[in-house]
Amino acid sequence: MPYAVEMEHVTKRFGTFTAVKDLSLAIPAGAVFGLLGPNGAGKTTSIRMMLNIIIPDEGRIGMLGRTLDDSMKARIGYLPEDRGLYPKMKVGEVLEFLAEIKGVSRAAAPAALDKWLARFELSDWKAKKVEQLSKGMQQKIQFIATVVHDPDLIILDEPFSGLDPVNTKLLKDIMLELRDKGKTIVFSTHRMEQVEMICDDICLINKGEAVLQGRLAEIKKEYGKNSIHLEYGGSIAFLKESPDVEKIDDYGRAAEIRLKEKADAQSVLKSLAGRVRVDKFEIQEPSLNTIFIEKVGRSEQ
Amino acid sequence: MNKIWAVIKREYVEHVRTKAFIISTVLGPVFMLVLTVLPVVLALSGGGEKSTLAVVDGSGQVQAEFAEALAAFKVKDGAPKYTVVPVSPAADPETQKAELGKSVMGGTYTGYVYIPPDVLTGGAAEYASRQTSDFEAIETLNRALTGVVVGKRLKTEGLDPAKVAAYTRPVKMDTVKISEKGRERDAGGSFIVTFVLVMVLYMTMFMYGSMILRGVLEEKTNRVVEVVLSSLRPFQLMMGKIFGIALVGLTQYSIWAVFGWAVTRYGGGIVKAIAPAANIAGFAMASIPPYVFVYFVVFFILGYFLFATLYAAVGSASNNEKEAQQMLMPVTMCLVLPILMMQYVMRSPNSGVSVILSLIPFFAPILMLQRISIVMPPATQVLGSIVLLVLTTFGLVWLTAKIYRVGILMYGKKPSFGEILKWIRYK
Repeated sequence: MPYAVEMEHVTKRFGTFTAVKDLSLAIPAGAVFGLLGPNGAGKTTSIRMMLNIIIPDEGRIGMLGRTLDDSMKARIGYLPEDRGLYPKMKVGEVLEFLAEIKGVSRAAAPAALDKWLARFELSDWKAKKVEQLSKGMQQKIQFIATVVHDPDLIILDEPFSGLDPVNTKLLKDIMLELRDKGKTIVFSTHRMEQVEMICDDICLINKGEAVLQGRLAEIKKEYGKNSIHLEYGGSIAFLKESPDVEKIDDYGRAAEIRLKEKADAQSVLKSLAGRVRVDKFEIQEPSLNTIFIEKVGRSEQ
Repeated sequence: MNKIWAVIKREYVEHVRTKAFIISTVLGPVFMLVLTVLPVVLALSGGGEKSTLAVVDGSGQVQAEFAEALAAFKVKDGAPKYTVVPVSPAADPETQKAELGKSVMGGTYTGYVYIPPDVLTGGAAEYASRQTSDFEAIETLNRALTGVVVGKRLKTEGLDPAKVAAYTRPVKMDTVKISEKGRERDAGGSFIVTFVLVMVLYMTMFMYGSMILRGVLEEKTNRVVEVVLSSLRPFQLMMGKIFGIALVGLTQYSIWAVFGWAVTRYGGGIVKAIAPAANIAGFAMASIPPYVFVYFVVFFILGYFLFATLYAAVGSASNNEKEAQQMLMPVTMCLVLPILMMQYVMRSPNSGVSVILSLIPFFAPILMLQRISIVMPPATQVLGSIVLLVLTTFGLVWLTAKIYRVGILMYGKKPSFGEILKWIRYK
């Protein structure tokens, strides 16, 4: 399979601090790739290196089949986590400027721009100043700026933060549409349930190193069907004493229970019966959330 | 290159249409005109207040002629400025002064002049008034009294005061400036023009530098910089900004130049219309050789690039205006120091110290321009300062580009000077 981005043994230091350490990752083309990791793991630094904004100290970065250089910037769209536009400029002007520095010709820019503004129902706002728009609208404008030049690689850092459910759905639909058109999407977030729903492949980074990488389905399979998804009424505190239970992630009305190796889920069910009301009891693969906490938590110790 | 051009265009359009630009462009010349014309007009219309003076003549010989001398002073509508009320001297001068003081407080008199009995042989007179800050009025009274007393003394010695005045008339000395153009009368106009040119240069370098600083800081704090940098290199963004603001500056200068030309051409007429008797020496602009203006533009452009680069570096390294102000200290010093040295250079433009100061790149725009406008220094010195300025600017652009590309993405705590130096070594 061709790769959109290949990072090979990439290391980046800032003074004595190593932000990214010997990171190798391959992002398959035409898929949604989840770039995960706790705060300060080195995600932003990795993304900035993919964008050629900062240069790695060691290692090589390949992009769309070539070695990354500045000429590739026009083929990448980037929505940073810290959003920002020029507040005093008009929406249309900001988008034209951002398209122009991506190399979109003056002739082609207006049509692409209008198409996207219409898609987000923002056409009436084109002549308004950015500062007059609500946060959510500014976010959509920023997304348009990310895709207006029809990039092949789209990097989205927390694209859904601050969006209402309607706009979240709209954005998600657009992301999948773009993927179906053959675009590669790198999706960075802390929201594991979103990753589980959208991503095909993931890479989990912690402390500048990749700790988990591959197809999401395969990763989950590897962890095996040794988790119980429980919905209940009452208290399950007593389960912590059970010899079958490795770990409990209790949310009060629902819980995710990791079983010990070779433990029997049926004996857990038996111990629950009669003591709490069981609304749902399902044996499944662990959620990405659990895997995330486990992987990051483990290396923390 | 197209990308830099897009940045230049954005910077230019965004700044030229701000209210601040329009106001400073319009008000700049108005301010200059007011500064030039207002003092002249004020000076001419000054002395408009009438005064009533009580005059006590202890000698009994001076009062009449003193009143006569003061009668020559008129207010604007032609009425006499001074109304002299003679008061007979009392036995005890101190009691009388106290009495008169009360009348002054009561408003009967504006003030009083006490002339002692021994005034002709050296006694000191006294002028008392509620306000003693009008030096011109005090000078007028003193001169009038001196004139009368000296006249009396001369007559006592059998001399004719009119003849003595004619014999002791001061010699008039014209100042002539010799330059390549030959001889030209200098009525102090060139000093004013030099001063105005240097101040305009100083203020605009300051103003456009701050514009760069605010722009860099705005992009950084708005976080828009990250999106922009995903499209172009930090160097392109920085240079686009510096060139864009340079064009803003040149636009403003062009507008001012047209205005300045109009003032030179018609300004004298305006002043004459307002105040017919005005001495229009201040409008000697036309006598300033054109090459001074050429060097003005050259040093503005070179100085602008030097300081714009420094301002960009400070802007990228700081997180907010307050931090920027602190880090700006050394840059501001480089701008202010030459202003403090101007007076020295004005007096001895070709001394060794002046030559060295005007070769230092950070001072050159102001001090070399000043020297050029006083008297053209040797070509090697002018050329030397320009070459040093250009080389320093290139060096600073190289350094700043390295600081900028790291600083612009660095948020959080204020970096120390040592940390900033370390950024330069980042790959």
